[in-house]
Amino acid sequence: MKPERGVENDAQDSDANASGSIGIAFDLGVRLGISVILGLGGGLLLDGWLHTSPIFTLAGMVLGIAAAMYTIWDVARNAMRR
Amino acid sequence: MPAQAGEESLIHVAIKAETLFTIGPLQFTNSMVGALLASAILLVMAWVFVRHPALVPSRVQSLIELPIEWMSGIVAGSSSRWRGYVALVIGLFMMILVANWLGLLPGVGTIGVRHGEEIVPFVRAAGADLNFTLGLAIVAFLVFVWWGVRIHGPIGYLKELVGEPRYMAPLMFPIHLISELSRLVSLSMRLFGNVFAGEVLLATMLALTTAVVFVLPLAFFVPAVFLGLELLFGAVQALVFALLAMTYISMAIAEQSGGHDEEHADHDEHTTTSDIATSQTASA
Repeated sequence: MKPERGVENDAQDSDANASGSIGIAFDLGVRLGISVILGLGGGLLLDGWLHTSPIFTLAGMVLGIAAAMYTIWDVARNAMRR
Repeated sequence: MPAQAGEESLIHVAIKAETLFTIGPLQFTNSMVGALLASAILLVMAWVFVRHPALVPSRVQSLIELPIEWMSGIVAGSSSRWRGYVALVIGLFMMILVANWLGLLPGVGTIGVRHGEEIVPFVRAAGADLNFTLGLAIVAFLVFVWWGVRIHGPIGYLKELVGEPRYMAPLMFPIHLISELSRLVSLSMRLFGNVFAGEVLLATMLALTTAVVFVLPLAFFVPAVFLGLELLFGAVQALVFALLAMTYISMAIAEQSGGHDEEHADHDEHTTTSDIATSQTASA
């Protein structure tokens, strides 16, 4: 029985890795857009609150784009680790 | 879509869940009915499952065991601490699956009470309400953060968010924060978008075919094709949500615990190799 369990564990690991990769692929495109929207939205809210338009809107947009790039790097780093 | 005065629209899909009645400040919406029905179905399934569990399962028991065993197999390979979150991942999968498929039953979204020109359905697919999907995403997000805090400690987790080197903290902290929050938003928006788009598609197809069914009777089969596709999409979306929750948690564990998981993986690999070697020796 033992050898079968070992092979089964390997199959489960590869299933989990493949499933995780598919999940991340589904997720990455959405997260890129959402990062920019979150940064821009946060900047707009701060500008509306502090009456400093367009300083925080621009800063938020730059941060959102930077966060999107960071997300790509983070996902690639994790994928390479696995 | 609101109908013009004097004409009745065949397509009725509201983006916002509609209120059936109010209890004090609480508005009881039709998507809440959908979520409660899905919960009730899962509770009944659990009751049937634990009532007479047999070693050789009956057909009903096998039907309930199948998705649970399949998901446990996938989660078991994700990290060494999979037992800590397998129940959550399977729970998310089953809840979303049942809620999505419940929305395809006859009467859901079509039978309701008339409010002026429009009919407010008694039941609506729970996933077509952003409140439901956001609630599930918040649960998954909190568990994912909790695993990070549990393994690395609150200070360590904050240090991760601040990043290295420390003088870059004013730039890196908001970037990390946006990146983390984007997971929460993407989880909830994807599920809501897909389920709501499915509802709109089905309503549109039904309206179009109802208009031409007296000329082309076979047109009634067109919505059936889309219903079949929605069955598939409902399962895929449930799987994607559960797998992403699992991946985020396992990534938090792998990131925070450093080499521990790799050591564990090495150990597993070693065990597997020796197991195969033993098997080959035995068969020889």
